[in-house]
Amino acid sequence: MFEHEGLSKEFEFVTKKSEIKHIGDSIKNTSIKMQTIAFALIQGDQDTVGQLTIECLEEGISANEILDNGLLNGMSIVGVKFRDNIIFVPEVLIAARAMKAGMTHIEPILSESGIEPQGKVLMGTVKGDLHDIGKNLCIMMLRGSGFTVYDLGVDTSPEDFADGFEEYQPDIIGMSALLTTTMPNMGRTIQYFEDVGLRDEVRLMVGGAPVTQEFADEMGADAYGDSAIDAVDKAKELILLLKDLRD
Amino acid sequence: MKTMTKKERVFSALNRQEVDRPPVANPTSVATVEMMDLVDAPFPEACRSAELNARLAATEITEFDFDSIAPYFSIIQESSAIGCDMQWEQKDNWPTVRMSNPIWQDASDVKVPKDFLEHKDTKVILDSIKILRKEFGNDIPIIGKTMGPWTLAYHVFGVEKFLLGTIDNPSETKLALEKLKEFTYLFGEAQIDAGADILTVPDHATGDLVSGQYYKTFLQDLHTEMAESFKVPLILHICGQTVDRMPAIAETGMHAFHFDSKNKPEDAMNAVQNKISLVGNINNPETLYSKNTTEVKKEVFDCLNAGVQIIAPECAIPLKTKSENLIAITEGVTDWLSEHNKN
Ligand code: B12
Repeated sequence: MFEHEGLSKEFEFVTKKSEIKHIGDSIKNTSIKMQTIAFALIQGDQDTVGQLTIECLEEGISANEILDNGLLNGMSIVGVKFRDNIIFVPEVLIAARAMKAGMTHIEPILSESGIEPQGKVLMGTVKGDLHDIGKNLCIMMLRGSGFTVYDLGVDTSPEDFADGFEEYQPDIIGMSALLTTTMPNMGRTIQYFEDVGLRDEVRLMVGGAPVTQEFADEMGADAYGDSAIDAVDKAKELILLLKDLRD
Repeated sequence: MKTMTKKERVFSALNRQEVDRPPVANPTSVATVEMMDLVDAPFPEACRSAELNARLAATEITEFDFDSIAPYFSIIQESSAIGCDMQWEQKDNWPTVRMSNPIWQDASDVKVPKDFLEHKDTKVILDSIKILRKEFGNDIPIIGKTMGPWTLAYHVFGVEKFLLGTIDNPSETKLALEKLKEFTYLFGEAQIDAGADILTVPDHATGDLVSGQYYKTFLQDLHTEMAESFKVPLILHICGQTVDRMPAIAETGMHAFHFDSKNKPEDAMNAVQNKISLVGNINNPETLYSKNTTEVKKEVFDCLNAGVQIIAPECAIPLKTKSENLIAITEGVTDWLSEHNKN
């Protein structure tokens, strides 16, 4: 399939038609070095990812290429494997750590060159809720897809979200809730944004195991996502809509 | 068959023996806001005062006529006594540990505080069990709860740090679990001394977070040892997806496994091959919280048809669950029995 044998094996875990095409096309014409980075990231091998990233940069390969053709291709496969229960949270965490090992070298170059991020997202788990694993995975995938993400952590009140909005001026705010006792705090946050006149300034996205599309609609959220991959897709859709609005 | 006492019924079901009717018993918690108002025992005080705790726990019998009483409503009493950073919340939410601010770094930090069993937040459960024992006598089973080392590890080390460690240094993880199990034994034994008939052991090695192989590698032996050491029946509780690890759980010698609605009752029954009793698995966030009695009863029927031995909500029930939906669980069992006896 691809030049890198290990990566080709990993790619066999991708079984959805649209994803085979999308991820496959993205890997197909990349160099063996990029494929090695993608593979090392999937293995959670932070040393190799860091080392190879430095080497590639020294060879004059652009930061953007390493990000798109190496790190992000690896992360896409990690996302699919996690969603399909082939790997679990610890394996995702080490992949995320490997991603970070590459990003440390790439990020300063990207920000210097003034390349615009995909968009800015502010994330938090709502008030009274301390479940944060799902939120953190969403953050990882969003960052891995080129978004700048600010993390407000857990137990985030409507006021905290509004303060965060003032401070970071995100395009999107993502709220996570895992408890039926705290789900209504998503609605309260949306209402709070209405009350203080910020609702039209930002798109609000919600998720977490007990949250449904129906519930999201009822609360007046702009989007609902049921997985970390979905969070990225929905964020991209919202950004496109915002662009249309602003143009 | 002659009518059994609640205790006989629950114990028979735990041993997969014949029962006069399948028991309804939640080994985690049935505390609700409605009940807090009824007996004037709101959270968080009901988690911290023995008298209020016992009063709220008693509603499981007095209002819902379930077959057991479970006075430990949350999963944080030991962690508070250990010294974790706590958030006690208010009436309509569960108290919790601030896991983003962990107190320990690694296994070498794990030490049992001298006053562990005298601490307000462990003692409250022990005293509550004594009150309930006195009030309800010996025919109603009291289910205590002692946290397993895996869940304690989330609380003291932080979830992500602990899970990363399982890959970076699995022998360190094993050492940490080995040391943390001390708390499970201490608090469990103390509850038995206070009068608990059964213990729930929550230990969240769930398929939502870790693979089935993890259960075998890190926990199966520890749980087997617990089943041998404790003198009372144990009910293991793990929420989320667990079918893949149920065959291993069934081998531990524990009496029962309390399972989540993410696993179908028939699949669960198939997985355990009658080696352990199953307790569950009425869905919380959708069915009990927001649907009606007809739908609750339908899930009761699904469990009974599959052969689940003890009928229960899948986990600590949503605090705003309506009483009628809880009563519908017991009614569902009655309806099923009358249909069953006709045929
Ligand atoms: C792990 C876990 C815990 C851990 C939490 C560790 C942590 N730091 O997060 C521990 C053991 C500490 C814990 C504690 C409690 N828990 Co808990 N827990 C779980 C469990 C087993 C898995 C949750 C999880 O992390 N899943 C894995 C992640 C990856 O999935 P996820 O969060 O759904 O996220 C994905 C998607 O939803 C989506 N997503 C998530 N957020 C967002 C946001 C946006 C914007 C988008 C687009 C997408 C998105 O993407 C993610 C990645 O794919 C669930 C079981 C279940 N059935 O869900 C119970 C569960 C959530 N817990 C429950 C309960 C009751 C509790 C406690 C109250 C227990 C108690 N009695 O004290 C306390 C809560 C204290 C508090 N105030 O928060 C109940 C809640 C039911 C209810 N009534 O509401 C559940 C559902 C169990 C059950 N079956 O009843 N819990």
